[in-house]
Amino acid sequence: MLKFFSSSNIYSVIQKLIKFINSIFFLILVIGLTFALVLSPPDYLQGDVVRIMYVHVPSAWIGLACFSVITFLSILNFIFKIKNFYLINKSVAPIGLLFTCLAIVTGSLWGQPTWGTWWAWDARLTSMLVLMLFYILYILTFKLFKKEELIIKVSSIIAIIGSINLPIIKYSVEWWTTLHQPASIKITGSSSIHSEMMLPLMVMLLVFLLYAALIFLMKYKTEIVRIKKNNFKRY
Amino acid sequence: MMSDFITMNGYGFYVWLSFGFVFISCAVVYFKTKKTLKKYEQEFLVEIQTLSLEEKNKALENSKVARQILATSSKIN
Repeated sequence: MLKFFSSSNIYSVIQKLIKFINSIFFLILVIGLTFALVLSPPDYLQGDVVRIMYVHVPSAWIGLACFSVITFLSILNFIFKIKNFYLINKSVAPIGLLFTCLAIVTGSLWGQPTWGTWWAWDARLTSMLVLMLFYILYILTFKLFKKEELIIKVSSIIAIIGSINLPIIKYSVEWWTTLHQPASIKITGSSSIHSEMMLPLMVMLLVFLLYAALIFLMKYKTEIVRIKKNNFKRY
Repeated sequence: MMSDFITMNGYGFYVWLSFGFVFISCAVVYFKTKKTLKKYEQEFLVEIQTLSLEEKNKALENSKVARQILATSSKIN
């Protein structure tokens, strides 16, 4: 079992996964866009502007999920000192930052026609902005420090402090009066979104997840090549 | 029908800008990541060329990953 997780096996699995995602991605993207832009119905209240939901919601979910993964692996790395977790986090962080930025920008573009403003300092929007700042801080530690041990320590502390913000983002719409609507999709309990909108949302989520996986695998592969290149200098 | 699709009943600017921004951002990140990966693979190849034949064989013998990188980088070039 442990042999499977050796770097040589991981490298060949990464190669195969990249090829697999590349082969199916375009087809799923076309299906997702057809559902999101053509087949899904307009909202009875918001009209066609509701289609922004198909890029805004998956972006926000992946932005939050990436930081949750980073926090979880940072805690494990703090305890078990496994270098692989550090490499995974280094590869995941830019993806999380990208999707958090996309969620903020598309949210702003959705906010203007529905709320009449591009931005409001309300709890959900502000906490998402704070998440973006934590991502920037986290990524900066890799650029600012040279010693790997110091990077792991500082970045783990940033991730753990930043994780306090995650439940704030999730429950901000319930704890405070905000412009942002409450969650329509719930893991526990019934969702208030119609199946004709739910299906395109799930397909677009799959598209975004595949894209995130592809970027992660390419970044992780880059890290492996970089390490091997540095190892060669020893010969 | 077609003009309805483009104008999105008056919300075309917001909808197309959102999808366009997401598409362009994702494409930029994808090509930038791919370029960085290729750059490191290229540097890896250059690093190998600087080694003597004996050192090269020893290094490749000890690392299956190095052999795989070399194989894929050779395919790319």
